[in-house]
Formats: sequence, structure tokens, C-alpha cells
Amino acid sequence: MRLIIREDPKTVGDYIASYICKRINDFAPTSSRPFVLGLPTGSSPIPTYKALIALVKEKKLSFQNVVTFNMDEYVGLPRDHPESYHTFMFREFFSQVDIPPTQVNLLDGNAEDLIAECNAYEQRIKQFGGIELFLGGIGEDGHIAFNEPGSSLASRTRIKTLAYDTILANARFFNNDISAVPRMALTVGVATVLDAREVVVVVTGQRKALALSKAIEEGVNHLWTLSALQLHPWALIVTDEDATAGKLNIAEIQLHVKTVKYFKSIERVQDEVERTQAELKARGKIKEEQLGNLE
Amino acid sequence: MTTVNGLVCFTNCLLPQQDGSLVKKDLWVDETSGTILDAQKTFYLRRERPGTIIDLGGNILSPGLIDTQINGAYGFDFSVYEDDDEAYHQGLQMIVERIVETGVTSLLPTIITQEKSKYPKLLSLLKPFSTPTSATILGWHAEGPFIEFEKRGAHTPGYLLPASEGFKSFEDVYGAQNLVDNEDWTLTSESQGFGVRLITAAPEIPGVLQALDELNKRGIAFSIGHSVARTVIATEAVVRGARLITHLFNAMPQLHHRDPSIIGLLGASPHLSSPFMGATSPTVSEPLSSLELPVASLGTITPPNSNLNGNVAAASEAFDLSPKRVDTILSPAKTYITSPTRKHTSRPSLHLEKGQVADMAFDRPYYGLIVDGIHVHPNSVRLAYSSHQDGCILITDAMKVLDPHLKDGVHEWRDGRRFVKEGDSLFVEGTRTLAGSVVTLDTCVRNFSRFTGCSLGEAIKCATYNPAKCLGIENKKGTLRPGAHADLVVLDRQGVVLETWIKAKKIWSKSD
Repeated sequence: MRLIIREDPKTVGDYIASYICKRINDFAPTSSRPFVLGLPTGSSPIPTYKALIALVKEKKLSFQNVVTFNMDEYVGLPRDHPESYHTFMFREFFSQVDIPPTQVNLLDGNAEDLIAECNAYEQRIKQFGGIELFLGGIGEDGHIAFNEPGSSLASRTRIKTLAYDTILANARFFNNDISAVPRMALTVGVATVLDAREVVVVVTGQRKALALSKAIEEGVNHLWTLSALQLHPWALIVTDEDATAGKLNIAEIQLHVKTVKYFKSIERVQDEVERTQAELKARGKIKEEQLGNLE
Repeated sequence: MTTVNGLVCFTNCLLPQQDGSLVKKDLWVDETSGTILDAQKTFYLRRERPGTIIDLGGNILSPGLIDTQINGAYGFDFSVYEDDDEAYHQGLQMIVERIVETGVTSLLPTIITQEKSKYPKLLSLLKPFSTPTSATILGWHAEGPFIEFEKRGAHTPGYLLPASEGFKSFEDVYGAQNLVDNEDWTLTSESQGFGVRLITAAPEIPGVLQALDELNKRGIAFSIGHSVARTVIATEAVVRGARLITHLFNAMPQLHHRDPSIIGLLGASPHLSSPFMGATSPTVSEPLSSLELPVASLGTITPPNSNLNGNVAAASEAFDLSPKRVDTILSPAKTYITSPTRKHTSRPSLHLEKGQVADMAFDRPYYGLIVDGIHVHPNSVRLAYSSHQDGCILITDAMKVLDPHLKDGVHEWRDGRRFVKEGDSLFVEGTRTLAGSVVTLDTCVRNFSRFTGCSLGEAIKCATYNPAKCLGIENKKGTLRPGAHADLVVLDRQGVVLETWIKAKKIWSKSD
């Protein structure tokens, strides 16, 4: 796993966007061989979406040959409800980039048979040959997608009951009316995310500090589902200064100095190796991409 | 311009919202249907996105402007019909094709008081109408003949009529076929159940109030104007469904604090419109005679200082004739009648919510304002707007000489007389007598923003959403709602019209 620390949410977004841009362009997707991208909702990825939109406007990136799969959607919330993830994705991203609507996949929280919908979703991902890069965010309790604390780390796309904390946190989007907040969601599982060839997670803000510390400094733990990322061969967490040293209630949480130093050294090594690999490729010494994590 | 899939996305633009704000957002339209799209539904359900993207460079993309009171333009007068249907129709077509340069995409031709026999034919010619490259004629606005002699403005006195038989009198004058149920009326036009009929009348004229119920039932809107109605009668008209006040301040009593009359409706007090008011006045149709002041008893009072307009006498249709009679409420003999039927029950309880206004038993009416800076002083414009923002509708009340290309100077008028145009003012040659309004609606929008200090988005609302809402056509015109006609205007950030689009096609551009 790699951890990249940047100044603030905006520079985190810029970093991830240019990273994804490079990955897509290197992949050189075509209509018959599209780049398959997993996408999250929530406030953390917004700076990344903004930066991606800017890259598309500058014509440095195109989503013409990108297929997307979103992580989750509420159950029973109308598709055009202002808080639905369909609405979020359209407003924050899809409406502003050149992705063909036929290449966008979201779970249908209003499907008659929810289980069949989940299974079909997994099936569709397989049909596209799996997800190339899954972009994710986390909750304060370390959940990735709607895989709340206690979720099985082997879970796949399924119906999930939301944690009471999550319902409370979401109430602000529903006029503070707890009863109006959806109780269930459809979400990809932890294993669905881990199946992706690469996982990139954005973690910003002081309130995420505990979750980040739990996920990377302690063992794999189903109570902090992000920690499952430790089992993934090609994972990247991009975080801001705040998330590496936050305050939660009265406890100060910060990553150990040696953790930060370790990850910073990895970043340097990765840069260097990527450079030499690119040179080798340019000189015809290597044909296949052989990049991955350099730990 | 036809595009790959017929869908167009306007981007990098500010969209005026129904609350008067301007929001940076894209707008998707469909060239085939000529309508505004629900972008998100188009994306997820129709699985399409626009093949054409138009960058508006940060300018404003507004619903097209709506003029609900316009007498003519470019030399053609809606009120003049000379037994030639074809010529009249050509006149209409010429105006709707040219007026788009002023940002107007919908208009309501206004017919001033005619000789009685002229109405049935004239109104029958004013069905909803548009061409693929023109603004839309919404229907008609009949101003008169049921108006107050004292406030007739330039309306021909001999043509004014009472409505002694209520709605039947309206049918007799306008022609029964022009007052049929809205569904039947729009059936015979191209507009598919959509159209507007508006009547300006004075509620104190015998029979007018009694006709209101039937007008409402048939989907014909009513506006109070050219009237001396006192507060009780004006209020009664609104309770009975009057939706609008015609050119506020003009052709009506000026604001008197003890009986604020028609203008006072903008400040209609919840105290006097208590929900219990209705209960104490079981019937309103019978006692009307006691509310009405017969014309004869009103017409003779002329206080010595009555010429308030000084030498700005007016031939303008909307203007009060000089010498101006100050209203009857100044007469000691006829002071404030307390309506025998109106016992204003005090509200049962007070409330504690700051910023809330207690429930009203009726909605305050909309009001048209001529914002040329001449017919209504900027202070008065702001005063009206401050008291009732959501009711404000900008109108031109323009004469047939309206033409933004008309140069300042002396022009031929009629009957051998000539007029002098100075900017947005029109004077009879050799005098300072106003000859009517020649202001364009886009100029009114800019003026309004200057006069009131409101934002451009709020000014635009008064020429788009407010008139559309007043006339009940906001699902088709005057908004950016999905399904509404894509009649759009591109304005720069100073409110200058750059482009006009009709049914999702660009049909006029300033640079052309």
C-alpha cells in the first residue's frame, strides 16, 4: 500500500485526478477495450471530480471510452431525489464530462428484486473484465462504500442496513428528519472493491484521522473495513495533512512519525522507478506495463 | 443548426431561477420538440447527452421576456383593423418576427377601447400564434370598454360602457365566441390548450364585479385598471379573482392613506383579510349597490390644485387626463364608506415567528409597471417593488411607434401631427405632452434593476416568471422548467440582449 500526503483537500483532488488521468491515457482505452473505473459519492471525492472535469475541459482527458461503476445507492429513494447518488453523480460529474450515458452504471435502489439487481451488478462488472481502478472514500468509522463496521471483508454487492450513526449523519440532508432518511442501501462489497486491479482512496479532514490510523497502522479488522486494503497488491491512499493528525472528541490522533516517513520514502522510490520504467519503454527495452506497487 | 442527436447543452452560463437568483448551471434543450429538457432524466432514462455544446462565455441564459401589455410596434397598431384579415395577420406576423430583438418571446396584444361592434371580429383574430422563427402571440388583452370615465386616459369616451347585465354584457361586447371556455377557445388554435385572455376593467362599473365569477370559470384573467375603485371595491375584486392591476399608478387614484384604493392592495393587511372575513359577509353580490358610487356622484369634484401633472399633460393611453381630478376620498361630502357587509374581525391570535406574515385570506394581486422612468418615477417603482416583490410585472404599454431602430428626432405621427422622440420619451411636436410609451422590455429590465437596486436576476424574474405565473402559463413560458418551450434570451451581465432563441433554435443575434 502507498500513502500520499498532500497539503489540503484541493491538492489531494488535483493529485488523484492527474493520477487517474495518467492511468486512463496510458491504458489508451478504445470502445472495444474500455477503461473500467469505480466511483464513489460523498464530499471527499468532490475536489477530485472538479479536477477531472477541468482536465476534460482542457482536453487532456476524455471519458469517451471509460465505463464507470458506482459504489452504492439508497434503497427506495427516487432516482431524481436531490440526495440520491444518481443525482449526486449527475450534478457533480457526469453532466460535466464527455461520458456517454450508456457507459454509466449505478445500482438501482428502486428495483423490484433488489437481490437480483445486486447479482446482476456483479455480473456486469465481470462482463467488462473487472474494474481497472476503483476510486473510493471512507466514512469517519472507516467504512468503504456502505460497508459499515462489522461488514464481512469477503462481502460482495448486496443490500445493506445503514449504521445508526450513518443515518444520523445523513439526517441533515433530509431536513433533519430521521424518519425520512433511507434505512437501506445497495452497495458493492469489500471483496468487490478488492477485486479491482487498483484501488485509490481519498481520505481528507481531521474527522477521518482515527479511521486512517486504524486502517493503516493496525491489523486487518472488519470493524474498520478500509483496513482490508492492506490485503490488496496495488492500493493507494491519498490524504491531506489534517487527516494525518486530527482531534476526535478529546483524543488526539495522529499517525506515528515513522509511518509518515516510511510512506514518504515510498513516494520518492515510486517516482524514480516510474521514470526509469518509462525510459526503458521508450527505448523499446520493455513492451508490457509492469508497474504496480513498490513497497 | 441541426445536431447529431438534436440535443443542445448550454454551458458556462447563469440561469435565472424562479426565486430571482442566478445560478451557474447547464441547460439542456431538445431541438426536435423545441422544449427544455430534464437533463438528469435525459441522461439516465433516455441515455442520451447533447451532441452540441454551446459555451455562453459566462453570460445569462434567461427565459424569453413576456410583455402582457403592448399596443403595437414597428408601425402596426393591434387596435386598428381595417376589414382586411390578411393585412392584420401580416401585421401580427411582422411584429412577432421583429420584436425578438428586444428579448421578447411572448406577448399579449392589447386592444384599447373600441367601438362596440369592432370587438368580436378583432378578438377573434387574436388566437395564440407563432412561426418557427417568431415570438408567440399569447392571445389578447382587452383594455376597456368597461372602464371608468374619469380615468379613461386616451380611451375614446364615447365608447365606454357599463356592464349592466354582468357577464352577458361582456359577451355582448367581446362576442360570445371569444369568451367560451378556455378549452374550447384554444381548441381552434395551434396552441394545444394553451392561451391567454385578459380583460382590464374597473370593478366599480356596474355589473363588472358580478361578471368576475363567470370570467374565472372560463379561464379569462381579470385586471383592475382605469378605475377609481375605493379600497372596499378593489379588495372585493381581488377576493373574487382579479389577478392583476393594470399599469400601476397610472389611471387610478393616487395613494391616499385613509383609503389607499387600488394601489393600497399592494399593502393589503392581514388584519383586514382575516380568514374570518368571509364568514361575516355571507353574500357579496347583493349589497354591491351600496358599495358602488354611481359615476354621476363622482365626476364633478375638481379641487383647485388638481393639476398635479403640471404641464406634462398626456395623450398617452395609460396617462390620466388633465386636469386631474383628485379622488373622491378628498371630498368631505363623501368620506370613507364603511362597508355594511365588511365587519373586519380582528385576527384571533398573534404569532411569534419573526419574518413571517400572518396568513392572508387572499393573495395580493400582481401589478404591471411601466418602467421607462417617465410613466412611473423611479422612487415609485421602488416603493411598489418593496411592498410586493413577487407581484411585480414589467410591461412596456408601448405604442405602435415602438421600434428600437427609430432615431431620435421628429417623425410623422397621425392626422398630420408629428412627434419628437428623445430616447425612451415621445412628445407631441412643439410641446412637452407625452405621446405614449416607446420603451422596449429589455430596457425596462435594466431600468428596473437600476431604479430598485435589485439584482439583474430579480429584474428578469419580473419580466419572465412573474407574468407567466400571473397568467398561469409558467409550465410553458417564462421559466426554464423541463417541458417548457425553449424560448430563450442570452443577455450579457449588464442585461443587453445578445441572442434570442425560439423553440431551441437561434433566430436572432446582436452581432448579425
